[in-house]
Amino acid sequence: MTNNVAILGGAALPVGKWQGSSEDETQHLEHELLAKLVMDAMEDAGLEKSDISSMIFTLPRPYTQQKYFATFMANYLNLPCDGLVMEVLGNGMTPALAFQTAVDQVTLGRAKVALALGVNFESATSSYDHMMSSMRATGDVDFHTPFGFTPISWYAMDAVRYIHEFGSSREELASVAVKNRAHAMHNPIAQYRKPMTLDDVMAQRPIVDPLGLFEVPGRADGAVCIVVADEDVARATGKSYARIRGAGFYHEGAHQINEVPNDMIAFGSARRAGEKAYAQAGMTAKDIDFAELYAPCTIVEVLVSEALDLVARGEGGRMAAAGETSVGGRIPICTSGGLQSRGHPAYVTALYSYIEVLDQFRNRAGGRQVEGAGVGMTSAELGNYNAALVHILEAVQ
Amino acid sequence: MTLPFVEMPGKRSYPPRQSDFTIKFWQGLADGVFQTTRCVKCEKLSFPPKPICPHCWSKETVWETLSGKGTLYSKTTVHAGPAVFKEELPYQVGIVDLDENIRIATRVLGDAKLDTPVEMVILKYEDGDLYAAR
Repeated sequence: MTNNVAILGGAALPVGKWQGSSEDETQHLEHELLAKLVMDAMEDAGLEKSDISSMIFTLPRPYTQQKYFATFMANYLNLPCDGLVMEVLGNGMTPALAFQTAVDQVTLGRAKVALALGVNFESATSSYDHMMSSMRATGDVDFHTPFGFTPISWYAMDAVRYIHEFGSSREELASVAVKNRAHAMHNPIAQYRKPMTLDDVMAQRPIVDPLGLFEVPGRADGAVCIVVADEDVARATGKSYARIRGAGFYHEGAHQINEVPNDMIAFGSARRAGEKAYAQAGMTAKDIDFAELYAPCTIVEVLVSEALDLVARGEGGRMAAAGETSVGGRIPICTSGGLQSRGHPAYVTALYSYIEVLDQFRNRAGGRQVEGAGVGMTSAELGNYNAALVHILEAVQ
Repeated sequence: MTLPFVEMPGKRSYPPRQSDFTIKFWQGLADGVFQTTRCVKCEKLSFPPKPICPHCWSKETVWETLSGKGTLYSKTTVHAGPAVFKEELPYQVGIVDLDENIRIATRVLGDAKLDTPVEMVILKYEDGDLYAAR
């Protein structure tokens, strides 16, 4: 056993509106959708049902009808497991934690093959009602929520601070959304695929100043299944795969803001997590061919790409505007279309990142293909990047 | 040292809970007092006020009145908010670094610019108090 872990297969639902309402004669059922993806992902991996010994699920949204979802699915799939069967929750990091836990099952020798999977159903609940819950997640319920902070209001304050400190322009930040849409146009599972110009982005109604409708993520449903395996198992299939070269996690011990004033927009946790991943991989930012970053808003992509050394500090917006982070540019970022255009079914969003990595490594990304994609990076976060989980993956043909 | 009061229409949209411990903070607002806790052992301030010290994990803290003076670190205007805040939209929130070297997040009134001085005020609603920077 090499103790290396590989991503060997994956399947994902196109991001969009899937959840029905009680008014509809028929509705999509979360387990029917996911079960089919499990089979598609295993076919993609070239493995059999009996190879699986662990399933790590993302916790479904409270609006999902079926509860106790992991054990329900074990029954629906008639799949006995020696390794863990469980659900994971960590807000936006949920899917990345499910993935890491599946990887850990393999690393610990509890499973040769593990699934990281889940469904996010939320589109039948209005944004106003959904925010009644999310406002209690991103802040102190008694000392922040009474003022009306929303999850993305924290990112908006990042943007205001960034423009103030670095003199970056509104247009430069908005160009990130334009770039992501250009990528999503070539992604068949992206939620928003119509062409979009900088003028289109700038003309939208404000949501949280200075961010307008197209610079924040829409809400969506989605479902993903990722197959991870011991590298020996992966090699034996004869298929290409993504070898995990490095991983890093760091939590700064703060929630949204640090009570001791610090440089909030340095995204210190992403920097620390990235340094650990680079060190484990024996790589630097120069070795990364593309990055699929968890970035709900345009400004977040700018800040996390700076914290991970992919672009210079204070230059992220300008680099996006100059095309450096586009496919064909120096360091393509969010080739899937990112959270603004590929879409943001929050509790499974980061699982879509590993789908994108596999698509790039297997040269099946079509018009968004990064030429010679050999090393990819992913990230996920908690709060206002108060914690980050970063992975570096390498293509093995 | 007491803070200025600003009369607000109606009730608070999402009133905070209070504990046997934090009730001193919320009742203090009614008298114009903006206060938090200081650790007896390591002497660091913390906000929100806590019966423990998050820095050295001492269980002994004492109340201390804050100056209410600070600097605006960042702000935004919320145009799309949760259902209970619909009537208040749009409204400003922000991050303030108090002179005592504590960062807080709060409502913002007026048009203060980043890195300029702000003062804390007490917002008096029909059902109780909140605070804001202006």
